[in-house]
Amino acid sequence: MAKILVVDDEEHIRLLYSEELSEAGYEVITAADGFKLTERIDKEKPDLIILDIKMVDYNGLDLLQEIRNRFYNLPVILCTAYDTFKEDIKSIAADFYVIKSFDLTELKNKIAKALEANIPSS
Amino acid sequence: MFEHEVNPENIKKAEFVVAIPSCNEADSIAFPVQQADKGIKTFFGNMKSVIINCDNNSNDGTKEIFLGIKTDTPKMYISTEPGVKGKGNNFRNLFQKVIDLEAKGVVVVDADLKSIMPEWIKHLGEPLFQDFGYVAPLYVRHKYDGTITNSIAYPLTRSLYGRRVRQPIGGDFGFCGKLAQTYLQSDTWSDAVANFGIDIWMTTIAMNENIPICQAFMGRPKIHRAKDPGADLGPMFRQVLGTVFEMMIKFYPFWRDVKWSKPTSIFGFGLGEVEMPPPVKVNKETLFQKFQEGFNSYDHIWEKILQKETGHKLKEIREMDKDRFDFPTNLWINVLIDFAIAYRDKLWSIDELLDSLIPIYLGKTLSYVKKTETMSIRESEEFIEEECIQFEATKGLLKHRWNKHEKSA
Repeated sequence: MAKILVVDDEEHIRLLYSEELSEAGYEVITAADGFKLTERIDKEKPDLIILDIKMVDYNGLDLLQEIRNRFYNLPVILCTAYDTFKEDIKSIAADFYVIKSFDLTELKNKIAKALEANIPSS
Repeated sequence: MFEHEVNPENIKKAEFVVAIPSCNEADSIAFPVQQADKGIKTFFGNMKSVIINCDNNSNDGTKEIFLGIKTDTPKMYISTEPGVKGKGNNFRNLFQKVIDLEAKGVVVVDADLKSIMPEWIKHLGEPLFQDFGYVAPLYVRHKYDGTITNSIAYPLTRSLYGRRVRQPIGGDFGFCGKLAQTYLQSDTWSDAVANFGIDIWMTTIAMNENIPICQAFMGRPKIHRAKDPGADLGPMFRQVLGTVFEMMIKFYPFWRDVKWSKPTSIFGFGLGEVEMPPPVKVNKETLFQKFQEGFNSYDHIWEKILQKETGHKLKEIREMDKDRFDFPTNLWINVLIDFAIAYRDKLWSIDELLDSLIPIYLGKTLSYVKKTETMSIRESEEFIEEECIQFEATKGLLKHRWNKHEKSA
């Protein structure tokens, strides 16, 4: 079972994603902010991260950069309420992005695709 | 007088190298050399460094200009033998020199760059000392600049090898010393690689070696000698495409198992406001005309190498007038698949085969220009992203056709 770490400062989003993604067969763990995120990733070893861009004390795009530098192939899906983040070049280090919605169909599709992506070792 | 190497300061070892390949660049090489020198001084001041001009024995005084530029960083000039031209041949000399110097990081910048800043050296070089083995550039480019990259090199390398490197033939990049050995030992060297195929060759090998790749954001557009996409493309197109197809054959065991794609790390921010690139003019009439003329010149080749339905669709869009002209992405993908297989199976002489792809590519370019005419750079990037997703989604078809033809060949 793939393990997904949801990083979002909004409790209702964490709850919604936990419920829906658990029902879809994933193991879900959550974080309310980016505090010591890379240490947590090291410890929990998630297969994929869903990362909010605008959190009260953290910028998701900066966190994305930290994650990508340390965990080169770990899939990250950016979640945001607005698509203005695309102005920031850092966003292309994400595997995918989704606009937040209560319908998680698109998110689930992107999760499946990100987990399926494969580059063999040479 | 020909000199294979000029090493005025007798440099034997260097940790960091900035290399500038050239062929008759006397009028432009000074600026990138000065900027590289500033970059080294500011950001790599604690490292033993050297600036190397890898030249094609230019006869316009490039060597004298290069060696005469006052820099704090030592300089070295190396050249191919008289009569030996080609960017790739310059790189072959460089790889050997990097090994001899035992350099850990190498940054390459073009000799005709007008927009290079010292920070470019930092952004292309620093990741090489932080676990990355290959650094590709990320420029803000005008939507009509780099159409071979946008239509072919980026979507194909991304869907084949699974790594999203937006400028795989960027010309300015960094690589670790270890890769120089890999490049030198590769059995995929060819005449095309010895010329303009070198950039895509280096990127593709880095991907296939699973070298950690990052992209460095340059903050400014690449300003150099721009080219009109409708202008004479012949040799460059043949060498880049020939290399792409050659690598497809060689690295089939790798790419057949690649599914979808993954991003890279991004490096290099804080360059302030991002500068927009200058406009690139495109002559739509010329593109349309050259596409149409392709049917007169190359129909006999297309007839032989294209799948029946692909040839049929191509004839369908030929009937469209310029204002209604549209080249669907899936047709373009099918054309590329057919050409890759024809190249592999040697269904036609290689040069003529690749030349015959040019008018179709110009038709695809015209369609791209029309569709993105009213788009901002960001919107056109999203358009290219959508096309890349189509390339990735068609990977199954590519594998199917590749195997089918291989078995029946």
